[in-house]
Amino acid sequence: MAAIRFSNVFKRYASGQDALLGVDFELASGEMAFLTGHSGAGKSTLLRLIMLMERPSRGQVWVGQQDLSRLHRSQIPYLRRQIGVVFQNHQLLFDRSVFDNVALPLQISGYDPADAARRARAALDKVGLLAREKHNPVTLSTGEQQRVGIARAIVHKPKLLLADEPTGNLDPELSEDIMRLFGQFNSIGTTVLIASHDLSLINRMQHRMLTLRNGRLVADG
Amino acid sequence: MAKPEHTQHNTGATRPSASRQPLPHQPSATDRGPTERNASAPRRGAQQHRIQFADRSRSWRRHHLNVAREALLRLKQTPVASLMTLAVLAIALALPSFLLASLGNLQALTDGWDPQPRIALYMQTELSDAAIDSFSRELMLREDLSSVELISRQKGLEDFRQYSAFADLLERFDSNPLPAVIMVLPQDTDPLQLPLVRNELAALPGVDQAQLDMEWVQRLAAILALAQRGSYVLGGLLALAVLLVVGNTVRMTIESRRDEILVSKLVGATDAWVRRPFLYSGFWFGLLGGLLAWLLVQLALLLLAEPAQALADLYLNAFELQGLGFQGSLIMLTTATLLGLSGSWLAVSRHLREIEPGVASSGEA
Repeated sequence: MAAIRFSNVFKRYASGQDALLGVDFELASGEMAFLTGHSGAGKSTLLRLIMLMERPSRGQVWVGQQDLSRLHRSQIPYLRRQIGVVFQNHQLLFDRSVFDNVALPLQISGYDPADAARRARAALDKVGLLAREKHNPVTLSTGEQQRVGIARAIVHKPKLLLADEPTGNLDPELSEDIMRLFGQFNSIGTTVLIASHDLSLINRMQHRMLTLRNGRLVADG
Repeated sequence: MAKPEHTQHNTGATRPSASRQPLPHQPSATDRGPTERNASAPRRGAQQHRIQFADRSRSWRRHHLNVAREALLRLKQTPVASLMTLAVLAIALALPSFLLASLGNLQALTDGWDPQPRIALYMQTELSDAAIDSFSRELMLREDLSSVELISRQKGLEDFRQYSAFADLLERFDSNPLPAVIMVLPQDTDPLQLPLVRNELAALPGVDQAQLDMEWVQRLAAILALAQRGSYVLGGLLALAVLLVVGNTVRMTIESRRDEILVSKLVGATDAWVRRPFLYSGFWFGLLGGLLAWLLVQLALLLLAEPAQALADLYLNAFELQGLGFQGSLIMLTTATLLGLSGSWLAVSRHLREIEPGVASSGEA
């Protein structure tokens, strides 16, 4: 059973640039994998296709049972609610507290406020930032901000967790902390796919590695 | 091939049915109207259905209340800008309302007057009552007159005594100074034909004077109709202005909340969810602008009340200045609110689609 399946996926941007050229792979449910490659190899595009932030030019992308090409625009939000995403630039909102940032996905999905608060605190506790819930994210360090982003990505207990360069701006020690956190989520059954070019870190993690080069999948294992 | 297990995970305790459905069919309570929600409810048991429906509709109501409250608070956060916008809206809304209310008053004032053009024939005072009576009977036979009414000298005197403030004037006369009057209604009310009829009647023997009256009432009515039409045109233009003002204000709010919209869409916000706060801003702008306009109109009418009363007193007329009234106020507030909503809808439908995560953040490929 596959959590994610790419079948001969091509992506050409309107500018004429080819980001993906015939990508084929399957990520099993409960698996954890790294997606690596040089900058511009198509890592972000691949993740964006899973989130339906982009549509493939050719080929099919499946998330769980769902063929994304058959998903109407109005159904995209319900796809995204099933996926947790950690962004490179963490995409936090600085007009509200850490707690409100983390609770946002729950609010959007219509959770009961008391239930949402409980879950948001649990997520913050998991990333070790419960004490900072009332702070504005702007007052936090980069590493802490990234952890808030992770808490937001996992607050609704997604089956699938995506991360785009989650350790991009962090020092090696913090990076390892963050990766360990992803490992923990994976150990409780979450499928995890992390795009990263931090090869030394990835090699230590001993997980499956998908390597992209110029839009082609050149290595898997 | 994928199996169902994948999609059976992330649902919260608040949505027991969601785990039974494949990916795209997980409408949360905040996204659908009541009927839609009903339709997508699980087919398990009536009991559970009802609980879930109640739960969802409660969550939906709570969400709307929250969004409405937050939109209002957001207006308060920028008091000066909000007040300026509201003042513009209030003036734009008050102007046509005030004009229409004033015209309504003028119409009420003239409604008591018979707009049918009559010709009054003042008979020579030397004629005997019998001669006048037979003359009026002759008039009745004419085809071009639809009604003939004789006011004898005696009747005229009594009427004058009863209705005029100058009744004691009559005491100074030895005999009745008033002529007999025959009021006739011509068949043909064409404003061009009426003077001809008048001239013809004036030339009849025994007629001292023929006066075409009520002509000015018709003219006044025509002027009022014109003014009313003008007010509607002005109202339409100002309604357009309200739409644009609200639309522009909401557009700026959308622009200032761009990040929030992007992030919300990324974590699964529907278009409706994203749209909602802005529609509520428009709603509040409309409603508050309408209330302010209502105050302005009532204030203006209050200022007019005294001189209007003085004028009415001069004409011995039991006229009272009417405000907007309950119905008028309701129409005004509803119109204002709908205009606010439509204005924000225009802005939202134009600008929200432009803010899409994929398009906005194309960094590394």
